Amino acid sequence: MTSAHVTFGEVAAERRISNIPLSHVSVELGHLYMDDFEAGRDALRRQFERVRPWAETVTQINEGRVRRPRISTCFLIDDYFTRFSTPSVVIGDLLAASEAAGLRIDYIARESGCAVADGVPLAELVHARLVPDPPPGTNGSRPPPHESGWLSNGERSPSGGVDEAMGQVAAWLPPRENAARHHSIFLDVEMWTDEGDRRIWSCPYLAAVWQLLRLGLLRDDGRPVAVPVPAPDPLPDDWDDLPAIIQMVPSAPPFAAYTTMSVLSSRFLPVEHAVRVILGQVSISAAVLEQTVRRGADENLEIPRDILKRIGYAIPGEI
Amino acid sequence: MPSPARSDAGGDGAGILIGEVHTGLLLNSASLRQDMLPAVLGLLPGERVRSFERPISHAVSPELLVGVDCDLSTASGTRVRGIGTLAVRAAITGGRVLQGSAWTRLMGGHAEHRLPWSHYLARPGVVETVGRRRNHPYHADLADGFLDRTNNRKAPGIDFGAICGQIMGEVQRSPYLDRRSPFKAARTTLRWVAEESPERRIGFILGDDGSRTTRITFDGQPISAVIELCEDLALHDWLLSTLLDVIDRGMPSDGPHETMMRRIRPAVDHLIHLWMPGARVVESLLPLWESLDTKPGFTRQWDTLVNRIRDQLALRTLTLLSASAEGVPGRNEQGIRS
Amino acid sequence: MLVIATSDKGGTGRSVTSCNVAYRRALQGSDVCYLDFDFGSPTSGAIFSIDPVSRGTEGGGLHSYLQGKIAEPQRIDVWRQTDRETLRSRPPGAGRLVLLPGDQGGGEFSMTKDILQRCTKLFVRLLEEFDLCVVDLSAGRSYAAELVLAATAQQELRGVPHRWLVFHRWTRQHVIAASGLVYGRRGLIEAGAERGHDSQVLADSIRFVRTAVVNPDSEELAGLRPTQVVWLLDCNKDLQELARQHQLGRTMVLATIPLDPVLQMREQLISDRDVWASQIANAATVAAFDQLARRIADDAAWDEL
Repeated sequence: MTSAHVTFGEVAAERRISNIPLSHVSVELGHLYMDDFEAGRDALRRQFERVRPWAETVTQINEGRVRRPRISTCFLIDDYFTRFSTPSVVIGDLLAASEAAGLRIDYIARESGCAVADGVPLAELVHARLVPDPPPGTNGSRPPPHESGWLSNGERSPSGGVDEAMGQVAAWLPPRENAARHHSIFLDVEMWTDEGDRRIWSCPYLAAVWQLLRLGLLRDDGRPVAVPVPAPDPLPDDWDDLPAIIQMVPSAPPFAAYTTMSVLSSRFLPVEHAVRVILGQVSISAAVLEQTVRRGADENLEIPRDILKRIGYAIPGEI
Repeated sequence: MPSPARSDAGGDGAGILIGEVHTGLLLNSASLRQDMLPAVLGLLPGERVRSFERPISHAVSPELLVGVDCDLSTASGTRVRGIGTLAVRAAITGGRVLQGSAWTRLMGGHAEHRLPWSHYLARPGVVETVGRRRNHPYHADLADGFLDRTNNRKAPGIDFGAICGQIMGEVQRSPYLDRRSPFKAARTTLRWVAEESPERRIGFILGDDGSRTTRITFDGQPISAVIELCEDLALHDWLLSTLLDVIDRGMPSDGPHETMMRRIRPAVDHLIHLWMPGARVVESLLPLWESLDTKPGFTRQWDTLVNRIRDQLALRTLTLLSASAEGVPGRNEQGIRS
Repeated sequence: MLVIATSDKGGTGRSVTSCNVAYRRALQGSDVCYLDFDFGSPTSGAIFSIDPVSRGTEGGGLHSYLQGKIAEPQRIDVWRQTDRETLRSRPPGAGRLVLLPGDQGGGEFSMTKDILQRCTKLFVRLLEEFDLCVVDLSAGRSYAAELVLAATAQQELRGVPHRWLVFHRWTRQHVIAASGLVYGRRGLIEAGAERGHDSQVLADSIRFVRTAVVNPDSEELAGLRPTQVVWLLDCNKDLQELARQHQLGRTMVLATIPLDPVLQMREQLISDRDVWASQIANAATVAAFDQLARRIADDAAWDEL
């Protein structure tokens, strides 16, 4: 009997993960809230002027590391917690102010896009991927205790009270950080609240999704999400008509990058701590993780699998 | 395609793979249709349910991760702390059999203490032991400790049972199922250890209460292939156990025909066509299956049972036919005894 | 199928009857599990004569499970673990008989969303493996009853048949109390409707079991004076009338369990051997258990009532 070489495959059985283009660094030049906008164009320009030396430093550092660094810049506008003005007015002001300060904004994103981008519920996709940091002694016997909508980096203080009729009264215990060496820095982050049927994601939660987008680590059934599109001309009057991420400079390097650098005012420090507590518990698809590491290796770059190691900040005070 | 358990972690090579597969009956009146599988097994939004139609309907949920930080079971009773994640998934075969499968790779970690959680999430499906240890006796100690369910000295270790139970429960509570299964069946649990070795070995031990253990070696195959082999083994062991139970109880020789039919019918309708050993096992691991099929001889036993059922059914049908040919008035099926 | 055993007052013989029914049903070939939901006093282990758990288990029972302390509650194979030799080893053709005991020293606890979810999960889990799950509640309006009412109204259990057996002794006080538990304010039907049950469907799934019933015509009472017999017959007639007025009339009764000295002295499983070989129990009792066990799962028996 002769044997034949047979190949047989089923489309529904395959896992395909799209590749997306990657820069070396994604630099966030700022984050705009209504208050910042209402402070006026001059205030915006001064803010960009403070950011500029940090952005230039990022370029310098990377020029020393790779031959031709691909560095893209981005800017996030809050249209989730408060709605103000219109895209054409706000973006017009932003571009004018950044240009005056000598900065180039490659991509502009709106915060609502971190919750749902082009119909894909990103915040929910990320929420489903949370693998809570297990306190010592966790062996899988029971699901980790959770407070609906909250995520912490350790064990909460017991709530006290009595479980059963005539049962023992629980004594107070301090909360404890799981990775504590000697002392704890325990943080409990509110990820969302429900208002009626609507889930309101918290600012650090959406900021965590924002970081994952900038790192190019999110997929929906293997497909890329929140893909940047060229800025429509003219810009729409309604924020909802604006794509999640728009590309302002046609020749800009790719939006997503191996690493991110955010230049933020120090008032965002607690938010970013919370972002890291959340991101430290998001399980990235192994295939996507592998893909990024392999592509880095192709460029002779060692990309850490631990995503927190790929996220950097410059946090000047508010001078 | 990289498997999730692949990792760059560990100072001691491949480590050992440990896992558990739980198998039971899907809680639905009819066999689940192929097009319903993605909805029922879509446990992780954004990730695809992989489904196969040939040679038998089979679908696998996306893999979920579960975090642990606990003392591992060792045969010697030595304390070994393990931190990391398990991968767990659910699978449905033939629209009828549900499996919960969890596994992890035990590897020596670099650190003397616990690292930030993001370090472990970067190595999905790996549990790192804390502190440096030498390779072999240490692996054997962990493998033996894991497989021995009776040793009281050891730490309880990772609760694979609870983790498999959790994911199976999630599927069973799916809004797409009606939870009216045509018959009931006990679950079985297969606990397995796989070590990399050029020497080809497989061992299988049948325990009480549906608990089984198996120990295998593999040589260069991807981890996913090893897991699929264990799942296939667990599936067929469950089919055999369930059919044995059905026959044990459904075939007392003097029972009324209707009672016998009520017990045997589900097995005929829902189980018999599911026997397809090795259907999804990679070629290079098939010899392991084949050696198990020689001793103790799974397929041989299965064939014997199936033939017994067929003989009984044929016999009963003949009896029925002859009874109706006699045209006994007022006699129904229920009244006829063999 | 879920069968929930409850009563308004204590001392109805609810637990001992439901244990015996579980046992009979297993003998009839079904896979049966028995859940001790009498959280204030988890002593069903004693009825099955399983000494280590006669006052609940130390190995993680239903209390620990429902409060989220363990992943799955302990299961005890009655055929293997019972101390009574005549019951040990499963007869040919019999199904599994498994006890899920409460925790030793466990007490009542109130229902939370998490506990409700765990209870629902447990029922779904057991329905995969067992034909019949007998849930024995504590007497009266209890947290356990509230929990099971809420769980059976969950989406996951909508399609699963669940039937309620309300036990009461055949006395004025018990008849009135049992009626109150079912039809009264904050009774099963009203509380069930509040938790999402359809009142009519729920009412149709409730039947009564009369226990410790004295049959004035029975042989045992042959020694009574004629005046006593007349008086007993009068009482019985009054009770029938009272029961009818309280919607506990004959059509609502699934079984009548005769008074049996064995059950009065010691609550235990009654084996056929206890009747035929040692003759300590009455054949009528076993027949009543056996019939109840058959009728519980017999759709026709429920429709025709």
